[in-house]
Amino acid sequence: MKYMFDKNNSVLSGLDSKQKKQNLIVTLAVIIFFILSAFTLMNFLYCLSDCIGSIVCASPDVSGRDALRSLPIFLSFFMTLSGLMTAHTFYRNESERILRRKAKKHSGIGAVLGVIIIVYVIVMRINGRYLSLVEGAPSALYPLDSVLYAMLFIAISIILRIYFRHGGAKKFCGPSRPPVQRFGRFIRSFFRTFWLLIGLYGFCGFFYSIFIVDFTNGYLPYIIAMMLVSLVAFLTIAIWELCYNNLNVETRKKATLPLAFISLVVSVITAVVYFLALKGNLDGPSNVGFGLLPIAFSASVNFATLLVVAMPIIVSVTALFKGLIRRIKAKK
Amino acid sequence: MKKNLLCIFLAAMMLFSLASCTKTQISSEHLQDYVFTLQYHDNFNILQLTDIHWNVNTSAKSSMTYLDKLLKEADAHIKATQGADAKIDLIELTGDMFMLANSYHLNTFIDYFEQKAKEYGFVYAPIWGNHDRHCLYNPRTLATKFKEAEHCLYFEPTDDLYGRSNYVINLTEDGTKNTAVAWMIANIDSGAAFSETELSVFRDYDYIRPEQTDWYISEHALAGEDVPAIAYYHIPQDENEKAWVDVTENGAQIKNKFFKLEGFADNGNEKYASDFIDRAKDHGLKAAFMGHAHNVDWTFEYEGVVIGLGVKTGDELYFAHIDVNSEDKAVKAGLADSGITENFDLIGASLVTLTGKDGSFELEHLYFNERENGDFSAWVKW
Repeated sequence: MKYMFDKNNSVLSGLDSKQKKQNLIVTLAVIIFFILSAFTLMNFLYCLSDCIGSIVCASPDVSGRDALRSLPIFLSFFMTLSGLMTAHTFYRNESERILRRKAKKHSGIGAVLGVIIIVYVIVMRINGRYLSLVEGAPSALYPLDSVLYAMLFIAISIILRIYFRHGGAKKFCGPSRPPVQRFGRFIRSFFRTFWLLIGLYGFCGFFYSIFIVDFTNGYLPYIIAMMLVSLVAFLTIAIWELCYNNLNVETRKKATLPLAFISLVVSVITAVVYFLALKGNLDGPSNVGFGLLPIAFSASVNFATLLVVAMPIIVSVTALFKGLIRRIKAKK
Repeated sequence: MKKNLLCIFLAAMMLFSLASCTKTQISSEHLQDYVFTLQYHDNFNILQLTDIHWNVNTSAKSSMTYLDKLLKEADAHIKATQGADAKIDLIELTGDMFMLANSYHLNTFIDYFEQKAKEYGFVYAPIWGNHDRHCLYNPRTLATKFKEAEHCLYFEPTDDLYGRSNYVINLTEDGTKNTAVAWMIANIDSGAAFSETELSVFRDYDYIRPEQTDWYISEHALAGEDVPAIAYYHIPQDENEKAWVDVTENGAQIKNKFFKLEGFADNGNEKYASDFIDRAKDHGLKAAFMGHAHNVDWTFEYEGVVIGLGVKTGDELYFAHIDVNSEDKAVKAGLADSGITENFDLIGASLVTLTGKDGSFELEHLYFNERENGDFSAWVKW
């Protein structure tokens, strides 16, 4: 396993100072957009859960009214996700052509969503649906904060266009990481998007729990298990993207099987710990967990937690198969 | 490196342990701690607001406008029927004040009620609903804010009782603990939900636990065996459904009124039937009011106890639209005797007026809707 930590086996080895600087900036951008995406996802899920709640309770009119009021929040999530995709395109840096095409596309989507948000808020203010530009709730500055946030993404898109116009794609010399394989591209994209969402959810579940869980009111085993489940869901994608994908091709092939095995063991242990904790805290989810799991709460079921528990296991099993197939092929 | 990791892990575990090591109070040994007192007078007015449900989609501004009008209407009605000196004395917030809300909502909500408490001269008493726990704020913060608010009555010890907060408000002759209690008001946390097993797909709504009933009985004994009492909590217990079945299927002749347009969303399992009403009715309980099911404000009399859901307050999450031409049996039954002849939404408030120390009280439901061409307001007596 030492070979995984050998700097010579990393795509980051042998970078000059300019490449190192660019790599650092891009990695920071990915992390910042990931965190922003996680926060906006939580807002998205909160608004969505309330709208679903109204529909489930046979009040689609209330759901529609609320969805209209919160549309900037829904769109803000997708806008932030476009920022993450843009940063990720630079992070992967598959080729000059792909970088230019994909980065322009993703940042363009962000800008369009930003324009829609601004126009929407103005129209809603003019027709009186928003009582004021700082109507209050869910934040003191809502919906003005959505407008300011949208302007930020429009600015990013404009800056990127100027950057590419001045040969930015040619000038960019950050390290290249493995491209998305063509075989089964649609399924891979779908699976990775779903994995990303669970990872974002896991990050929020862990991070928010530090602030919104009352550690003094019992349910401690359940709280720890819930935090562990969230952390593992986040770590699987974080380690894959920030560690595994930083290895060079040969080392990656070698590392797949042992990493998958470790990941599977950790995921299974986490799942077992979660169910044991739940067994002893049967009212735990509704007393401390649902603030972190709005969708689970909205659906009135515990089952939704399983998605977060199951995802690392699915990822590990998939990686394990991949590693085994590679090993069999190599032996042949 | 390994040593550092071990130190971090141990420090984290110690923090967790410290956080959970708060001393648990034995409720039966500290009964007085759970008691607030207010001065009793005939025509003591308790306004019940329930299921306000501020959430991420709520426009705080618009919701506060509704509450402004509602309080104004209630105050005007009280003054018109009881005299210029009469006022709302106490507001009972019977749970689900929030759902999927954040700290901004929490702060705005408490600031709002503090401001209105000064304006109208009332105090308010919040009770936990299942959804108040499902938010982006720490429940501890909610508890602290309520405890610190000047006009709020709220108590949350670390004790052996189920739920976060159970407390009583005793109405005494001079408003202190030194004089006789005229009425006891018990505010009970009916919990949230639980799973029967760790593999259960669905969850069951919670119920008032036997130890909470024991605590109520002890508090009542402390107040005085003959003292009449009212209980406020969030989730309906099994008596509501049993009474409804008795009335609609068995033709039982018990007094009942108002609307039942959905289930009670109670636990529904005989195994978890609460003993609260059954035992508390022998210990001064005259009435029990709750919330939870928004399309229900059905009220009935059960062995001398008036039990009913309050009218949902505000238009968040969901509420019923009442069509006076509806052929629906439940709508027709609700409209009978109400005197309402136009369509309206089942939102507003409920008012209990304590008319005497003998346990007598009056109950009225207010249906209040904002409308562009003049707001709709209807008071219907029990």
